[in-house]
Amino acid sequence: MTSADFRILLPEILLSGYAMAALMAAVYTTRDKLAATLVWATAGLFVALALYIGAAGVGERTVFNGLFVDDPFARFAKVTILLSAAAVLVMSQDYMYRRDLLRFEYPILVTLAVVGMMVMVSSADLITLYMGLELQSLSLYVVASIRRDSAKSSEAGLKYFVLGALSSGLLLYGASLVYGYAGTTQFAGILTTVQAGVPLGLLFGLVFMLAGLAFKVSAAPFHMWTPDVYEGSPTPVTAFFATAPKVAAMALIARLVQDAFGGIPGQWGQVLAALAVASMFLGAVAAIGQRDIKRLMAYSSIAHMGYALIGLCVGTAYGVQATMIYMAIYVTMNVGTFAFILSMERDGRPVSDIAGLNQFARKEPLKALAMLVLLFSLAGVPPMVGFFGKFYVLKAAVDAGWVWLAVAGAVASVIGAFYYLRLVYFMYFGAEQDPVDSRMAPVQWGMLVAVAAIMLLGIVNLFGIEGPAALAAQALVR
Amino acid sequence: MTLALIAALPFLGALLPGLMIRAGRDACAALTGSVTLLALCLLALQAPTVLAGGIVQTRIDWLPALGLNATFFLDGLGLLFAGLILGIGLLIILYARFYLAKSDPMGQFYSYLMLFQGAMVGIVLSDNILLLLIFWELTSLSSFLLIGYWKHLPEGRQGARMALAVTGGGGLAMIAGMLILGNIAGSYDLTVILTQKEAIQASPWYLPALILILLGAFTKSAQFPFHFWLPHAMAAPTPVSAYLHSATMVKAGLFLMARLWPVLAGTPEWFWIVSTAGLVTMVMAAKIAFFKDDLKALLAFSTVSHLGLITMLLGFGTRAAATVAVFHIINHATFKAALFMTAGIVDHEAHTRDIKRLGGLRTLMPITFGIALLASLSMAGIPPLNGFLSKELMLEEAAHTTWITPWAMGVLATIAALFSVAYSFRFLAHGFLGPVRDDYPHTPHDPGPGLWGAPAFLVVLVVVIGLFPMASAAWLVNAAASAVTGETVAVKITHWHGLQAVALWMSVAAVGGGLMMLGAFGPLRAIWDATPRPEAKRIFDGIIEPLAALARSLTYALHNSSLSRAIAVAVLAIAGAGLWAFTGGGHVPGTRALMPVEPLVAVVWAVMLAAALAVPFLHRVRVVALVFVGVVGLLLVPFFVLMSAPDLALTQLSVEVVTILLMLLALNFLPKTTPEESPAPRRLFDAGVAGIAGAGIGWLAWEMLTRQAAFPPISHFHLAQSKPGAGGTNVVNTILVDFRGYDTFGEIIVLGIAALAIYALSENLLRSPAVTRRLAETRPEREAGDRHPMMLVVSTRLLLPMAMMVGVYIYLRGHNMPGGGFVAGLVFAIAYLMQYMASGYVWSHSRQRFDHHVLIGWGVLIATLSGAGAWAFGLPFLTSGFEYVHLWPLEEFELATAAIFDLGVFLCVLGAVLLALASLSRLAQRTGEVVNTRAYDTEAPQETR
Repeated sequence: MTSADFRILLPEILLSGYAMAALMAAVYTTRDKLAATLVWATAGLFVALALYIGAAGVGERTVFNGLFVDDPFARFAKVTILLSAAAVLVMSQDYMYRRDLLRFEYPILVTLAVVGMMVMVSSADLITLYMGLELQSLSLYVVASIRRDSAKSSEAGLKYFVLGALSSGLLLYGASLVYGYAGTTQFAGILTTVQAGVPLGLLFGLVFMLAGLAFKVSAAPFHMWTPDVYEGSPTPVTAFFATAPKVAAMALIARLVQDAFGGIPGQWGQVLAALAVASMFLGAVAAIGQRDIKRLMAYSSIAHMGYALIGLCVGTAYGVQATMIYMAIYVTMNVGTFAFILSMERDGRPVSDIAGLNQFARKEPLKALAMLVLLFSLAGVPPMVGFFGKFYVLKAAVDAGWVWLAVAGAVASVIGAFYYLRLVYFMYFGAEQDPVDSRMAPVQWGMLVAVAAIMLLGIVNLFGIEGPAALAAQALVR
Repeated sequence: MTLALIAALPFLGALLPGLMIRAGRDACAALTGSVTLLALCLLALQAPTVLAGGIVQTRIDWLPALGLNATFFLDGLGLLFAGLILGIGLLIILYARFYLAKSDPMGQFYSYLMLFQGAMVGIVLSDNILLLLIFWELTSLSSFLLIGYWKHLPEGRQGARMALAVTGGGGLAMIAGMLILGNIAGSYDLTVILTQKEAIQASPWYLPALILILLGAFTKSAQFPFHFWLPHAMAAPTPVSAYLHSATMVKAGLFLMARLWPVLAGTPEWFWIVSTAGLVTMVMAAKIAFFKDDLKALLAFSTVSHLGLITMLLGFGTRAAATVAVFHIINHATFKAALFMTAGIVDHEAHTRDIKRLGGLRTLMPITFGIALLASLSMAGIPPLNGFLSKELMLEEAAHTTWITPWAMGVLATIAALFSVAYSFRFLAHGFLGPVRDDYPHTPHDPGPGLWGAPAFLVVLVVVIGLFPMASAAWLVNAAASAVTGETVAVKITHWHGLQAVALWMSVAAVGGGLMMLGAFGPLRAIWDATPRPEAKRIFDGIIEPLAALARSLTYALHNSSLSRAIAVAVLAIAGAGLWAFTGGGHVPGTRALMPVEPLVAVVWAVMLAAALAVPFLHRVRVVALVFVGVVGLLLVPFFVLMSAPDLALTQLSVEVVTILLMLLALNFLPKTTPEESPAPRRLFDAGVAGIAGAGIGWLAWEMLTRQAAFPPISHFHLAQSKPGAGGTNVVNTILVDFRGYDTFGEIIVLGIAALAIYALSENLLRSPAVTRRLAETRPEREAGDRHPMMLVVSTRLLLPMAMMVGVYIYLRGHNMPGGGFVAGLVFAIAYLMQYMASGYVWSHSRQRFDHHVLIGWGVLIATLSGAGAWAFGLPFLTSGFEYVHLWPLEEFELATAAIFDLGVFLCVLGAVLLALASLSRLAQRTGEVVNTRAYDTEAPQETR
């Protein structure tokens, strides 16, 4: 442990320190009155750290005796996590304030979750991995049930906790098996072991770990918590769930399979492909019957995770690059979509029934147009940026010889397009009835319009994320 | 760069109308038109090169990593289509200027139109198939906006939705097809792909790619079985229908088939899929068109039919047929656009498009009638108009193509032509001929030249191409057909092929039959109305609705929000994954010999098993279940002893006692029995799932235990290093306080936090009045008469100092013998617990002069300080030191810093247990339990707190 080690870890340390200081400050001063300030301060800190990590990070360094790694991959994921978390935070402030949900713990818990995520994506050791994952999960369990007077929110939190605990246990069990057969918890050491041959116990460990992580990205068949939690949690929390944690968990899977099991892509490739196919189809099919837009977004996220997994399961650097780009695009789209969902209300009460979208375009043409762009993008229709994400992963699959997977992905996207387009249809041609109100804080409005613009303007060069993503992928896949 | 500019101009133009609409409708239209005109001129400048057989290319790198580049190329086919799109686009802009009402937002309309135009031009100019794909979907999108332009018309909605769902979905399927194609060819550039015929057709992925691409093409061009959306999209303003559904968008599918014709066509798969779909579409749509009363619906189905015709020709896979297809594309675009515009004029003037309410327009609208006459005669295939020329060629090709039998194709094509004659004449006869009526919704008369100018121009083309095909169109057909087939084509188009030409007689039969059909319209209509027929929208809904319902029921079956179902799914999936991993790896049975099983051990094991099994069966009566849980826990103790782990046995024993006692106390506040949650079959299923999970884990453990570990166990190190390294002979204790001191340090903190959390939770509960109410309800049952029996009180008081002594002893000997701070803390806790149970909480608590929180705090603090002490010696945190001291009259003994650390552990454990106890007691008092201030309450209760 040298000062250089600590310097690498500076963003995490800073955030943890900030979270503890903010907690103390709020407890001993004005408590919830401080919440709005904390939200903005936290978001500002996130953005500043994202800029710092993006600008100051160079090269690849492993610190703390191989527990923690700082490489372009981790930095790419961290910047995505930080920026999306910041966006969701500022978006939710108005919503939570008006519904008396704005507790000072909220930004602090989000901060801690973000620290967990940053540790996750930088982990080079099973212990670090688990530490980051649990810090994240524990914070999220609490955030899910932050609205304690609502039975649905409490139920969501409890379900998330029970299933999350199950998955954590599974992950730990797998990790201990891996340790038992590799003799080390460090990814590099595990990699050396598997290159010499894969004992059955190690394979078991791998499968269990992947199953545990599949819970976190809500890949089918480990997705069961997603619809309930998305629906039950307050919408800002749902928005948060749908963005940063997904990036972190996906990056963690990439990190694990490449850094620790990079020598045996044949073994995990099949597992991930099975997860991907199940998720894509389940997400697409199950979303069709949904009447609640939050539940619908839950299934949408399941399907999207399926696509992201395609990039990982092919095992190439190009695939990892595709997944990272996909995730970056995915969170951007979700930020915009949730900015809109947050604004849906009727008589001042939040609504999430999609029937309320009927004829929305007549009432709010600009917002409807922005949503149209976002929904098309989510469906993967060219020329929206969402298409490029989808195309990247499909191309990665085809290039690596997984043509059947790409075809399955395309077929699932056709099914999925149905429900996205149905929302568009409701907004523009739905039955004659009074559409929902859409009361937006300036931040939400800005996010919605900005994201819609990104979805259109991104076709120029995807805002240059290709380069960093390629760099990230090359750092991971050797 | 010119090509990129041509493709970009309409997009730039899309911005202008929105900005210019304030300058007036004329300025807006003129500006939009001039942008299109400019693009058309630029295109014309390229024409000489292309017609000479050259190719114009532009390349801009865009996203090279994706294989996506903005590359454009222009050959004959591109020239033909781009010319059609821009030329007819120009006419439509003119037409729309006069067609749209003042109340319609014209700027918006022109923006959408230009967007669409740009997308179409992009499709036909793209060299990169991914770029093509992007433009392709952009047409779906912009057409959606155009179709939905009149948002107030309810019938338009369903149409827009269907159009979008079908064409958008097809386009997405095409992505995969394009990907495969690009992967086989090694490039996504059309110029490269088109040279790879052998590689593509030999690939095993040829058929999937073909099907996926054709899905896109068929949905776009409304080919059977995806033909149903087009007629329903007709609610759009007529300029839109004329542009999208006659001349451009629906031709995109044809364009794609023509574009990829060199590499995809010529195989049996291509022939059967494409020509069959085309043939079926052609015949079926023509028949439906005949019976449609709405002018636009009639034209829409006629369009579908003609698209089928072209598709069929492309499907033949021969050079001649492809050439005819190209020719017919030109002809169809001219007469069909003119007809749509005519229908629009009728609608505009008479305020209806219902053919039953029309008739007799010939005298009222002579100019319109003239246009309609020529265009529909061309559609019917009457010489010498251009429709006739291509129809003759088509019939000729069909007659010489074998499809199932040698004559089937010819006969069906003739029938389609017959229907075509019939509906064309019906359009004329029922719409324009006949007596003038006096009940038009609005008295029609010819509009100004602004409206009829565009169709008139197209009709001039119809006539000119019809009369002088070689001079006016052959050059374009040659260039386009050469591009399609990849070989130089020199077409020869004549009106007269001689009497021996089969097509002539097929044509004659078609015209004769068509006229007869029209004559018999009344009876035929009666039959048509009487026969049940599939209605597109109903079929669409009929397919979509059950599927959606299926999806819904599947979702509800899977996600009924039940946690146990969620867990069941996860457990089964994991079990499946485990099974997969097992069968995937090379499994060899374990080699480790089993230990001999002594009878006594077997009996203990059997009792433990029985107790474990009893828990799920008896869990409804909670106290009983808890007793069995305790039995299982206690029976573990002898196993630890048997395995030479006295420390673990000691710990297990004390932990078990404490937890069972605390749980017993907690049970006071819970219902005594668990209600039955689920019916028997469900329980049986759940039991099965649980059984699978348990068996899986048990079996896995068995597999692990029956083989040697992959690495030598770490215990040797600790056994060897315990004494020299940590100064203790009790390995377990040295691990806890020395080797893994840091872990223990973390654990005691966690333990403390857990106790604080219990306290905080119960405090919160106590604050809520609702909880208090419910707590009060939990004490209905009769209490025992003697809550604090004297025997118990006396014996616990006697036991207390002894128990504490034992605790101290265990603590002190811990370093070398079984024991240690953790166990000592538990022993102390049990001693206190006994006091509480025997003498009551208040009595005991009032005699205990320290706060539980403080105990925990001191514990952590002492542990921290003992660890930090190492810093004073320049050693890392928690490095322990020990020294042997000889102090008379005692034996030599050891002083270790680890003992101080252990003290911290001890205090933490004690504090945590007592705090939990205190929390429970506070809850008990809130339920109304009477408390005693004296030792025993043989008398009546004294006070209630």
